[in-house]
Amino acid sequence: MYIEVRLYATLRRYYPSWIAGVSSVEVQPDSRVSDLLNTMKIDTAEVHIIMVNGISSTLDSALQEGDRVGLFPAVGGG
Amino acid sequence: MARNNSLEKLEKGEIPERYQRNIGTIGVVGQQKLLRGKVVIVGAGGLGGNIIELLARQGVGFIRVIDGDSFAVHNLNRQLLATEQNIGVNKAIAAVERIAAINSDIITEAIPQMLTKENAKELLADVDVVVDALDNIRDRLLLSQITRELGLPFVHGAIAGFTGQVTTLLPGDVGLERIYKKDSSGEKGIETQLGNPATTPALAAAIQCQEVVKLLTGIGEVLQNRLLYFDTEFNLFEVLTLK
Repeated sequence: MYIEVRLYATLRRYYPSWIAGVSSVEVQPDSRVSDLLNTMKIDTAEVHIIMVNGISSTLDSALQEGDRVGLFPAVGGG
Repeated sequence: MARNNSLEKLEKGEIPERYQRNIGTIGVVGQQKLLRGKVVIVGAGGLGGNIIELLARQGVGFIRVIDGDSFAVHNLNRQLLATEQNIGVNKAIAAVERIAAINSDIITEAIPQMLTKENAKELLADVDVVVDALDNIRDRLLLSQITRELGLPFVHGAIAGFTGQVTTLLPGDVGLERIYKKDSSGEKGIETQLGNPATTPALAAAIQCQEVVKLLTGIGEVLQNRLLYFDTEFNLFEVLTLK
């Protein structure tokens, strides 16, 4: 199944060719967010906020075909 | 006192000239609520300098500023209160001088110390809103925890590069651990890579100030259980639902 992934800020460096940090990623059916990150080879330590269809989620959250996943690093400056 | 004069005028339905352009948005009653409002701003750097400037002009009647740090040359790119003349001066002291120059209605308190576990409850006492203008995750988690214990509204903001985020926590809400991993205590965020440019703190600070105005006046909706996240490199402004 395909998931629409949007990478924010520094996470875009994992896929610099994606336009504006957005692309579709294929994962196995019944995948969770952690499986998506494994497929994408993104270090989970770098991901502080996970959004699935605009709602905060976790590494264990189940995914469905067509879900929109946003991955956010920690922003801490002032 | 100037503040009492302004309040007396507003109670009679007269508008002090300095607040004339506020009234269409917040009304006479809203301006009275702001002048009676008490806000503590923790940090007077990139976010804090802008927040202090805007809340002073908007007419929040009591502003306490906490910051034990002094201005350095590398602050000049973004910290509104930093000037070539005040390098080495404590940021909280510079903040209250700036407020006094902008709006004599405002009662100020400068606390030239860092917020710690030991002094936090005392320094956050007797205010209506706590504003997070810190520069690291560890101190933000501490501030969020203590603010929660005190049952005070808390306006969080943070920035890095083209990116920033704002949310408001009300008494009883889950703290900033919804945004930062618990094991991130002591860590810095992506600002270590992206830096803190001039414009991003101003953008986040303005949104934080609007949260403060809404909290004090009761106008509109605050970002409770929501995180406004902007990433202007690609013109993204997202309002995310926090569970």
